[in-house]
Formats: sequence, structure tokens, C-alpha cells
Amino acid sequence: MFEPEEELIGRVVRQLRRPVAIDAGLDARVMEQIARLPARRTAGPVRAVWRWLIRPRAIRLSPLGALAIAAVFVAVVLWRPDRPSSPAPASARAFGFVVVAPRAATVSLVGDFNDWDAARTPMQRTRTGESVWTAVIPLTPGRYRYAFLVDGVAWLADPTAPAARDDEFGAPSSVVTVGGS
Amino acid sequence: MTARWSGPAFGLVAAMLVAGSAAAQRLDPRLERLDSSARPIVAALVDSARAAALPTEPLVQRALEGATKRAPAERIVAAVRRLALDLGHARDALGPTASPTELGAAAAALRAGAPPATLTELRRIRRESLTVPLAVLTDLVGSGVPVDSAAAAVLSLAAKARDADLVEFRRAVERDIALGAPPASATATAAAVAAAAVQVNAGARQQRPGRP
Repeated sequence: MFEPEEELIGRVVRQLRRPVAIDAGLDARVMEQIARLPARRTAGPVRAVWRWLIRPRAIRLSPLGALAIAAVFVAVVLWRPDRPSSPAPASARAFGFVVVAPRAATVSLVGDFNDWDAARTPMQRTRTGESVWTAVIPLTPGRYRYAFLVDGVAWLADPTAPAARDDEFGAPSSVVTVGGS
Repeated sequence: MTARWSGPAFGLVAAMLVAGSAAAQRLDPRLERLDSSARPIVAALVDSARAAALPTEPLVQRALEGATKRAPAERIVAAVRRLALDLGHARDALGPTASPTELGAAAAALRAGAPPATLTELRRIRRESLTVPLAVLTDLVGSGVPVDSAAAAVLSLAAKARDADLVEFRRAVERDIALGAPPASATATAAAVAAAAVQVNAGARQQRPGRP
């Protein structure tokens, strides 16, 4: 009823090994048929972008290159050219400011070192009832414009310091220069 | 080293870079103190200065000074614009390696009338920071010393004098002027005294044991 398994396998092998003659025009006919097929619906742009995003890529990177990329990243994120440098304790020097303001209720020291914020550096009376006011602040090397604001309304330049020449705002300012050597 | 990065990882890094850049460019919150007509113009001037690699902090401080002194918006804008121009001229005179504090001091010196060539010559002869020599030059002119006399005196001292020597020189000039000396001769006299002191101090420093 059944042919032996070896004969069956032999017959199949012979059949498979038989040379196959392919028509020389086959390729052209296949391509022609493909061209006639309706255009396949392309994936939407969102899907294409998503595929692009999730497709893994192999990147060859030397350790030096990785460090360079990390350094650039840190520099871009953290660096701001206009960021005021925080006072470095090593280079900052304490500077005392003194002004005589009789009858003043409050005196503030304002300048380039405190964003001209009258609330930042209130001056202290040397003694209750006296008219001498002082403030001590750390300054790093540089040139600073400043003034005293009396009772929140009156501006006073420092009579013991050089005057700021380019004073466009109608109220006097002084300058202090902090050296490094 | 080989790493496999997915698209989202690329996207995340790109987004962080963009966010970092945006953070660097956003409006300085201190400028909120300016009124609404001055704020956008000052912000644009600050952005322009940043793009030109000029220090922006002096511009912000000048604007804040105007705001605190309740100056009109147009005066604040004019002051900031003028300072930005001065900073650019200062950089032209001192070169691209000048520090922000040097540029600020140089801008003030130029505004006081110092010739740009004097600034360039200072850069050439002095290895240390130019902030104090430039400030002393500006302050002398402000005290009534003719700019040529002030520039000559500072140039004669700048090569070897320390910052403290220059500040002491300025005080001596101001003291003599207050006592009635003509500004130019007070400057020449104080410069001669300061130069002699600098020579003595330099000699003492050289003879100090244990120092190179």
C-alpha cells in the first residue's frame, strides 16, 4: 500500500534537483504586473515619524567623543553669558560705605552690586540718634556705580568717592573700583 | 564604545539642548522692573549685545539704575544704547580677550574722553587686569585732570604698578587738587612719586627669599 520511505524521499529529492528552465521574460512580466497594482496606502506622516523615532540605531562613539558631547550639553544648558558671576569668596573683599544723613529715617545703599534694589542693603545707624549710617558688603574686583537713597526718595552721591561722570538719570551716583592686586 | 540609542533618546537630548538654549535666551526677570515701553527695547539691546559677545550685565545694571531712579523710559533706553556702543568700542580697543569688567571700565574711560589708542597701549604694556588702571584714568579725568596728562601718567605706571599702587596714586592726585594744586602738575608729581615707590616695592619683592 505504501511505498517505502526511502524511495519516497529519493523521488522528492530527484524532483527538486531537476533543472528548472526560467523564461527570460519573467522578470519583465513580474515588474509589469507590480506596476499595475494599485498604489499601496502609505503610512501617515505621524506613523512614519514615530517609526523613525523608535528605530534603534547603532552609534560608534569613543569615550573621548562621549565626554565632548557631555561637555557641550552641560555648557549649553548651564552657561548664560549675562549671568552675573556669583561672588567668589576668595576674591571678594569687604567694603564699608559710610554716609552722613541727619534727620533720615532710613538710608539704603543701592548700586550695580545689588541690582539697584533699595530693599537689598539697608544701612545701619552707628548709634541710635546719630546721623552716620554704614553698610559693609563683599565686592569682587570690578568697577561699580552706586548711590545712597535717603527715606526712599532723596538720592545722595558718596562725597568721599569719585563721581560717576555718565549720569544720565538726573540723580548723582558714585563709583568704587575694587582691584585684584 | 558602541551605544544603541533609540529615536526617543535622540529626541530627548535634542529637546534638552533646545530647552537649555531657550533658557539662556529668555528675558532677564530683573528687566520686569522696567516699564512696558522700555522693557522690549532694552531686552533687544541686551540680546544684540549678547549676540555680539559683549557683556550684558552692565547694560542690565544701567537699566535698573534708571528704573530705580524713576527715569523716563526714553532716557533709560538712550543710556543703555549708548553704553552698548561704548562697550563695542572698548572691545575694539582692547581686543577680544578683554574681560567683562575690563570692558566696563574701558567704556567709562572712552566716555570720559580717553583715546582708544591709550587703551590699546595699556593692553600691550600691562599683563594684569586693566580694570583699575582704566578706572583711575577715568576718575582722574573726572577730577579735572586733562585727559592727555591722565593718560600719560597711567601709562607710565601701568606696566609695573599693582592695583593698590594705582589707587593710592589717584588718591594722592585728588588730595593735591583739593589742596589747591593745578590738576596737571598734581598728576605729574604724584606719578613721579608713585613710580619711585613702585621701583622700591618691585626691588623689595625681588629680594624677598623663597619667591621666584
